[in-house]
Amino acid sequence: MSSVDRPVRAYVESTIIMTTARIVSPFVFTFGLFVMFHGAESAGGGFQGGAIVASSIIVVAFAFGIEPTRQWLDDSIFRLLIAGGAAAFALIGLGAMALGGAFLEYAVYNISHGVKYGIELVELGIGATVAGVIVSLFMNLAAGLTNDADGGDET
Amino acid sequence: MTPLEYAVVGLVLVGLFFSFVAVVGIIRLPDLYTRAHATSKSDTLGTVLSLGGVALLFGAEVSGVKTVLLLLFMLITNPTAAHAIARAAHDQGIEPWTKSDEEGE
Repeated sequence: MSSVDRPVRAYVESTIIMTTARIVSPFVFTFGLFVMFHGAESAGGGFQGGAIVASSIIVVAFAFGIEPTRQWLDDSIFRLLIAGGAAAFALIGLGAMALGGAFLEYAVYNISHGVKYGIELVELGIGATVAGVIVSLFMNLAAGLTNDADGGDET
Repeated sequence: MTPLEYAVVGLVLVGLFFSFVAVVGIIRLPDLYTRAHATSKSDTLGTVLSLGGVALLFGAEVSGVKTVLLLLFMLITNPTAAHAIARAAHDQGIEPWTKSDEEGE
């Protein structure tokens, strides 16, 4: 109830949160890429890796403020990621069909370890799409929150 | 039992004790700030001690190094998360619990 008489103020950075995000988020990002690539061999995969990569970006957004992050990472980057990931998946799958195989039949590419590289590229495409979708969903929800706070007649 | 096993069991038991303290704290304490106070410290300590026991058991292998990394990240992120939650609550204007709240009811 006491939030009514407080002035709506801009986000104030906390040194502790910013330092932790600065230390942790590169590791989280790398781990997400590792999970994506590891999907070819064992547990892991594009969806999980993409979610982890997106969470590292969301941690940065929470620590440094959502508006600065939005200025740093433009919406067009995420549109590019989403479309590019889906396009990579489709092109690799259809390329195998063009060479006379079935959809996503990596063996027809005739590269050494072609199956493994094919799976890794497809996982990378899935991961890019998932990360882009999650971050842009987060950014859109956060934009709604900011507008409400500016409107300011909460009870 | 070897001395190593005694050390591992001891670490896990002490870790369990601190995790139990955190659970009691989150059930029994009255508001967000006191609960964050109880869980952030004892839960971190409980997790770190238990993972330390696991790392001792693995020894100097890849799994042991992974466990130590996990332990370090828990040690960094857990208190930070509690700090962020308490800070956000303060920003939202949530008043800390006082003795007078209880007497008023």
